[in-house]
Order: sequence, then C-alpha cells, then structure tokens
Amino acid sequence: MIDRRTTLASLGAMFGTALFAPIARAATATQPLQGAVGTPVFTSAQKAIVSALSERVLPTTDTPGAIAAGVPAFIEQLLGEWGLPGDVAPIAAGIAAIDARSRLDFGKAAVDASPEQQDALLTLAMNRQLPGVEGFFEIFRQLVITGYYTSEVGIAAEREWVPVPGSYDGSYPVAKVTKIMVG
Amino acid sequence: MAATNKFDAIVIGSGVSGGWAAKELTEKGLRVLMLDRGVMVEHGDYDHESKPVYEIPSRNIMPKKEEERDYFISKHGWVSPSQQRYYNNDRLNPYALEDGDEFHWIRPGAVGGKSLIWGRWSFRWSPDDFAANKREGVDGAWPIGYDDLAPWYDYVEKYAGVSGSKENLPYLPDSKFQPPMPMNVAEKWLKQRLETEFPGRKLINARLSNMTEDKPEQGRTKCQFRAQCDRGCSFGAYFSTQAVTLPAARKTGRLTLRPNAVVSNVEYDPKKKRVTGVRVIDTETKRAEIIPARIVFLCASAMASNQILLNSRPAGSAKSYFDNSGTLGRYVMDHLLKVGMNGEIPGMAEFTEYGRRPGGVYIPRFRNNAPNEDVGFRRGYGYQGSASRSPCRPVGFGESMKHGVRAYGPWLFGMQAFGECLPYEDNRVSLHPSKVDRFGTPQLQFNVTFRDNERKLMADARVQGEEMLRKAGLLNVSSWAGELIPGDAIHEMGGARMGSDPTKSVLNKWSQAHDAPNLFVTDGAQMASVSCVNPSLTFMALTARAANRAVKEMKSGRI
Repeated sequence: MIDRRTTLASLGAMFGTALFAPIARAATATQPLQGAVGTPVFTSAQKAIVSALSERVLPTTDTPGAIAAGVPAFIEQLLGEWGLPGDVAPIAAGIAAIDARSRLDFGKAAVDASPEQQDALLTLAMNRQLPGVEGFFEIFRQLVITGYYTSEVGIAAEREWVPVPGSYDGSYPVAKVTKIMVG
Repeated sequence: MAATNKFDAIVIGSGVSGGWAAKELTEKGLRVLMLDRGVMVEHGDYDHESKPVYEIPSRNIMPKKEEERDYFISKHGWVSPSQQRYYNNDRLNPYALEDGDEFHWIRPGAVGGKSLIWGRWSFRWSPDDFAANKREGVDGAWPIGYDDLAPWYDYVEKYAGVSGSKENLPYLPDSKFQPPMPMNVAEKWLKQRLETEFPGRKLINARLSNMTEDKPEQGRTKCQFRAQCDRGCSFGAYFSTQAVTLPAARKTGRLTLRPNAVVSNVEYDPKKKRVTGVRVIDTETKRAEIIPARIVFLCASAMASNQILLNSRPAGSAKSYFDNSGTLGRYVMDHLLKVGMNGEIPGMAEFTEYGRRPGGVYIPRFRNNAPNEDVGFRRGYGYQGSASRSPCRPVGFGESMKHGVRAYGPWLFGMQAFGECLPYEDNRVSLHPSKVDRFGTPQLQFNVTFRDNERKLMADARVQGEEMLRKAGLLNVSSWAGELIPGDAIHEMGGARMGSDPTKSVLNKWSQAHDAPNLFVTDGAQMASVSCVNPSLTFMALTARAANRAVKEMKSGRI
C-alpha cells in the first residue's frame, strides 16, 4: 500500500507547507464532510479575475499556461466537490482586494490591467502587503499548481507521462531527463 | 446424496483464499461452485488501466458527496474513481458498532476480492510466529509449526510468482523467489548506512507478489512498472484471482463461478454432524436458494466468514452449530498501522528513477527476535518504505516558478510500521440482535480494541524509526502517528482460530471445523495470531494445504 501514491498526494510533498484545506482533503480523502457548497462557486466577475491571475501564476511560456490547461474550471470543480462553505471566502476576499488595489494603483479593474500590472498585484499579495488577505496568495497558488499539474498540459506537455515504462532503473541519469517524469 | 449433487465442493468467496481453493479442488478432479457476493470483473476488463489522471473522472479524486454517501469506510482503503467498482458500497452493506467502538471493515465488492486491490507484500511467517503464543503463554497455541507449512509456501510461491531477495534470516524465512525489484540508488545508500549504524538490523528488498520474470505457461507477463496495480493488471504481473487462480480453475472445465451471490449461512445436519450445502441469495433478484455439496470451503474474508459461521444456527437459537467451543467470533486481530517517518537522503542528485516500481524496501522485525529481550512489550514490527524524487518545490510565481519546478528535488524517503497485535478473548465480533442487512442477514457487530501492548509497540516503532533515519544521516527527519483504529491495516484476522483442543478453538490443524469435518475455513478467520508480516501468502499456503487434505479425506471416504 506504500506505492498507492497519487499525483495529488505527491503534491503535498511538493509544497512543503500547509496545504489549502480542499487540496489536502482531495489528497488524503479522510476528512468527514461537514457541509457542501453547490457549484458554481464564483460570479462571472470573480471567474474572470481567477482566470487572469491563474495565467500569471503559471503563464504561457514555451509550454501552454494555466488557461490553456483548464485551470480556472478545475478550481471551480475542486471547490465545488471538495470545498466547505468557509473555503471560498478567502479566495473571494483576496480577489476583491486585488481588484480594489488595481483600481487604486492603475485606475482600472484587475482583469483589465496589463500582465505586468497583474504581476505587481500578485507580488503585493505574495509579500503579504494586501491588508486582511495575507493568506490569499499561498492558497491561490496551490490551487493553480494543483490544477495545472494534474491536467493534460501539465502531465503530457510540461512533464512526461510514460503509460507503460516497461522497465525500472533506480539510478537513471538526470542528465538524460528532458522533462520530469510523472506517475 | 453426493451422487445427485451438481457440485462436489462449494467455495464461498473468490479472493486470495477462495481462488486458491477453487484452483486446487478443481485440479484434483472436483466439480466446484465458487460464489462471490461482488460483481464480475474479467481479467483484462479493468477500468482506467494505463490512463493518466486527467483521463480519469474527477482527476481520480473521489467526489466528496459520493464518498460520504457510499464509500465512507472504503475511503480508508484508498478507493478512488479509477477502481471504485472493485470496492464495497458501504451504504448498501452496513455493519454494526456499539456506541464509541471503532472498526474500519474495509471490503472489496467484486469477484477477486482483495486480491485485485491488495498491497501485494508477501512474506513467509517465521518458526517463532507459530511458536510465540505457546512459548509466551498467550491463549491460542498454534496446532501447526513452520515445517508443516514450508512445503506449501514453496508450492504457492512458485505458481503465484513472488519477487524478493534471499537473505537467510531466521526471523524472516526466504521464499522461492523470482529476482527482487531492484533498490534505487538512494535506497542502496540507506541500506549501507543503516546496517552500519545498527548492527543486526537489515534493510532488504520488498517481497512482492509482483513478477520480475514472465510466466508464459500461465499467459502472464512480468511487471511493466506502471505502479497502478490497484486498477487491475492485464499483464497479469501481480497475483490476483483473475490473473492466476481463476484461469487455472477454469481450465479444468470443472468450475462454475457465480458472482452477485451472497451466502447467508452454511446448512448443517446436526445428526450427521456434517455441512450439507450453503444458503445463497442472488444480490440482484434477492432470491434465496440452498445449494447442496459434499464439502464447503469458507473463504469469504476473515470477518465475513465469521458472520456466515455465526449465522449458521438452529432456528430460534443464537448459538452457531460451529461454536461448541464458545470461541467463535473471539480473538479478532488486525495489524497495527499509522506510524510513519520520513526524511531527505542527501546527495545522489545526478540520479533519479525511470519507471514506477511497485513496493520498495523492507526493514524486518528486530524486536524480540531473541528470547528474553526486555523492551517492555511483546512481539515486534517491520517497516515498509521507499525513496523517490519529486519535482522541486515551487518558489514565487510566474515563469521563474514554472521553469524552476522542471528540476527534481532531493531524494525523499518515507516508511510506515506494521505491528503485531495480540489475541484477546474479548476482542470479538457477533451478530447484532436486531439490525439486519438488505438480505435479512443479521449485521456483524464489532467489539475490538487495541490494548497496552499494541500502544507500547507502536510508540517504540516511532522512536526507533526516527532514530534509524537520523543516525543513517537523513536530513529533516520527522515522524507521525495517527490514531490506531482496528481494521485500518486491512489485515483483520481471527475469530475462528485453529487449535488442537476442540473446546478452545473452532478449526483443527487442517483448517477443518471441529464441529463439521466437511467444512474448511481457509481465510484470515483461522489465524490464532497475526505475526507482523503481511498475511496473504500464508492464507495461500494454508488453503492449498487444506484443499489437499480435503480431497484425501474425501477419497478415503472419511468426509
């Protein structure tokens, strides 16, 4: 049973910090349900900000970014299937604070800000410089990373998925690895 | 009567033990009916084999509402959307607990039973595992010893295919091995370090019913390193009923397999002191019928076999036909789980793993291997673990984070202890006086708790495990301990134990009921103690041995 690791469970080791509760519940699947929220969990305005910010967390580079990987929809699904009523609130508060700061600093809504301006807003959040929503950044980042690296883009493009390895090598040279292999 | 029976033998259950019973009995010429309460899963008809997580519903996360409604016990046994068809529906098949009691009765729900979804770690018991109860004065002396079972271990291992390394350890006898699943470079380093720092302790290759050599005569291919065994394996690389014993039994032309068939009780003739057949209920039509047979092999899984035995009783009586000893349902045990430790193995950054290996490494029991050790508790524990590398931890966000996690982080090692539980008379299962299931069968009620010895043993496992990893030179070592809940190890055993004395045991040394010589119980129910090693290989050997005995007894006319 030791080898019954899942992609999600291995994410726990990846962050090295406390997992956002819905992700932890998804990865360990042992907590009792204390109430459920129905989907959809976001308004269309909230969705637009979630989508824009997720793309800044994992942008399109030489591989597709979070939007192409379907991360915004995954976040809604995860919160809908795994979230408790209290789990959406810090995300909603965080994106509201970012939107307000965007209007203050740049005179426009966060979704209309340039990528560089959105990065500046996320940096403020990361450095805990948005009063009242200090926990938002880590929660949001974990959601985006989890959604991305369990998606087809994350598994088959950004990383390498070998359906049938056929053999095992316990001292395989990292030099031969072009993309990280995932289970 | 035997001449008119359609079947010579009925095997109840199609898991590890039932599959072996069907194979052995049909190959010895018997016409066998094998019953299983679960749905049919044919070899090769497995769900989601080789699929990446994004092609599996809900990315292989159990939707919480469905899990809490139907799989609230199965979730403790790693149910996921990729294999939930193989698991029990806990809403449809309830069991009973008294207020405050806990037991996680984690069950399969398909033909093949737990052989489809098991952990596959496979060990022989040691001579002392059979001797310890008697030597320590613990209630439940085994009527057999290691030598009785050794030839049967040989027999089942050669057929099933067990990989592992020959170690010549008196406290962990070697099997007839295929070559071991190799250790990776970090595990080899740890082996050298740990065995240097702790003379006498060993870190060895996992022993697994996962093959490293083909068995073309059985149509089975060695492991392809997908590490998704619990979804089923069309290569037949691990031991399961579907891949191994069912094809063998079918090949004889003498097997009838009936899925969706739950047994409520064994039929018994008190005058002849013989079982006469079984009462079986079709789970879809709920129609019940009695099917006669000359012998019955009860292999329904340890606790379900207890339930069937307890429910085999005269009308209006609470006492089973098979409980003249008064011990039926008692001495229920499980392994102790939920203590683990992990850390970072320094160096070897130029290597990683290719392929996803089942298993890993094993630290065999080192406590109380010598008599008169003074460690404050009886028996011992072993550890199962593995080393692997994950991607680097993400730092910040954006392109630098995305490209930063394209590299591997350090080697991480984690392991978990499996401890031995002692048998206690008042750790028991019984029939609930009023609660019944959807077929009208009384629900099984659990009254099982771990005691002082169990808690001390696992506390020691935590301390020793952490110390071993630290002294071996791992970095950032930490350990954890969860609540010890019986059933969580999914190694529940006992309740119909073997023994020489018919007034103190349910079965004799041939897994044969003292109260009915044509009834054999060859699953975990027969165990008088549990060792600290995984039990399935021992069930296989005991089943093959009992089947051989049963056919000899039939031929001699004694049953």
